[in-house]
Amino acid sequence: MGKATWIREYVALALILVALVLLFGSLSGRFLTATTFGAIANRIPTLALAATGMTLVLIVGGIDLSIGSVLGLSGAMLGVALVNWHWPFAVCAALAVGVGLIAGLANGSLIVGLKVPPFIVTLGMMEMARGAAYLVTNSQTKYLGAAVEGLERPLGGTGLSGSFLLALLVVALAQMLLSGSVLGRWMFATGSNETATRHSGIDPRPIKLTAYALTGAAAGLGAVCYTSRLGASDPNAGAGLELSAIAAAVIGGTSLLGGRGSVINTFFGVLIIATLEAGLAQVGASEPVKRLVTGAVIVLAVLADAWRQRAAGNTFPLWMRLMGRTDVTAKRP
Amino acid sequence: MKTVPLALWTRRTIYFVFAALPLLFLPACNQNNSGSTSARPRVALIMKSLANEFFLTMADGAKKHQAAHSADYDLIVNGIKNETDLAEQVGLVEQMVAQQVNVIVIAPADSKALVPVLKRAQAAGVRLVNIDNKLDADALKEAGLTVPFVGPDNREGARRVAEVVAKKLPAGAKVAIIEGIPTAFNGQQRRAGFEDAIKSAGLTLVGVQSGQWEIDKANNVATAMLSEHPDLQALLCGNDSMALGAVAAVQAAGRTGKVLVVGYDGIPAIRPMVADGRMTASADQHADQLAVFGIEAALKILKGEAPPADQTTVVDLVTK
Repeated sequence: MGKATWIREYVALALILVALVLLFGSLSGRFLTATTFGAIANRIPTLALAATGMTLVLIVGGIDLSIGSVLGLSGAMLGVALVNWHWPFAVCAALAVGVGLIAGLANGSLIVGLKVPPFIVTLGMMEMARGAAYLVTNSQTKYLGAAVEGLERPLGGTGLSGSFLLALLVVALAQMLLSGSVLGRWMFATGSNETATRHSGIDPRPIKLTAYALTGAAAGLGAVCYTSRLGASDPNAGAGLELSAIAAAVIGGTSLLGGRGSVINTFFGVLIIATLEAGLAQVGASEPVKRLVTGAVIVLAVLADAWRQRAAGNTFPLWMRLMGRTDVTAKRP
Repeated sequence: MKTVPLALWTRRTIYFVFAALPLLFLPACNQNNSGSTSARPRVALIMKSLANEFFLTMADGAKKHQAAHSADYDLIVNGIKNETDLAEQVGLVEQMVAQQVNVIVIAPADSKALVPVLKRAQAAGVRLVNIDNKLDADALKEAGLTVPFVGPDNREGARRVAEVVAKKLPAGAKVAIIEGIPTAFNGQQRRAGFEDAIKSAGLTLVGVQSGQWEIDKANNVATAMLSEHPDLQALLCGNDSMALGAVAAVQAAGRTGKVLVVGYDGIPAIRPMVADGRMTASADQHADQLAVFGIEAALKILKGEAPPADQTTVVDLVTK
């Protein structure tokens, strides 16, 4: 990818984002304020982390429906460790990430080891993790208060929370993994053609396992941010998060059949969703209108990305690019 | 027969026309946004799920009140997609702070998890009123926050509903409870109210299961309970949606009249059922007035009057 295309890569999504900000700015005189952008920044860490993980599994040609429930379970364990076992917050946070990692490893092992389709494995994990979250918390929200709110506090007068900076760091690291490392290249290769990857002497199994494990850990980290934000551990945390994460990844141009995606573009997807949510709330749009508009923007953003691709010389039909075969060199069927 | 291929541009036009069809719905979305910068106080009403008829009625009541008092205040109404999406509700509170509203009237989706963000809102100078679902007293105390509460006493209401059933049944009769989402405070209160009445009337409680506030989940749970306990005499449901599911289950089991069903909320859909006896009772919390009471308390606070003490709103029984 040359320098010029590198810039162009992000232009379409950035333009949509700017357009949304200007639109809401014109609809409400109080939208264009630092408080609004601070609130948006502090709202997104959980979704950004989940969507980053989702992008990784989508790139290797998988999917993780359990991400929201695993986040719920990690947060529940964090709450139990803090309140019932009196562990310090840092250790509880590590435990939450560990729980996510274990759930991710379990997902990945079942998928690569027993060759069960990822949709089914993670659907099962989604139910199991949610059930476990209810069990360990006895279905009760635990109020944790100041002990966990450290990550949510604005840092040094910037109005940005520790959670937000943490999420930015993870996004940057994940993008470096994808575009700057051998493992990243293998992930793309596995996702676009697993058989060819195997024939070229690379075992796709550990690669896929790594993607699921990292996604689980991202969900665990997301749980730390979520719990910190609420000042409470909530057994329902993350319900429906998997769909928002998929939406963010798809807005960012990630293919649902693997082999294509970028964490930075996914992050743009997260920003678009969060800006839309904030703007619609501030103008007091009704619930049905919110859902209509959000759905329309998701479709429009994907179309805009497809048009940008065409302008960049990718002549594949839109559906083909969305559903997988995205590399310009591949032959049309 | 020779097929004539559609010209490329014709096909494209058709695609675009079809893709643009949903735009026809746009006029229906026309919103009455009072985004203007007027001197009137700005009140934000933050609700739970507006897909739930109860909260929709509440929001409509508030909008009607604002229309009748449009010179006194501006109103922004927001709700969340899903009863359990706490993070979305926390985000709404922050957006309303960014909108510089004067007061937030909130029906919290969780009694504890909303406390920290409300504390941040108060620190930013926004006044608060709590409606419908009471914030947890311990969490408020730990955060050093006092928020006036305006709403019904769910435990007392549920107790009175269950008493209607208790009067019709002999002591020792078997009854079961279908509760709402177990994490919700009002759900816990209603269950506790049902249990109070069961205990004092000497009925036998054979089971408590969650119907998650939803009609189909309650239907499954009720069906299972009915087949497990052939001598069951009453199903006490935490809201009317679940009662509708229970009524259908009782009907399917051919035991209408032998198993009494009660609900809570008094939504219009259950009125004919109470009239013909398929349901025995429900409680009317006057949803259309609940948010209005909260808003009136908020306006008083803004006028500089002392914050009102907690205010219990009326709950009326719905019976034949």
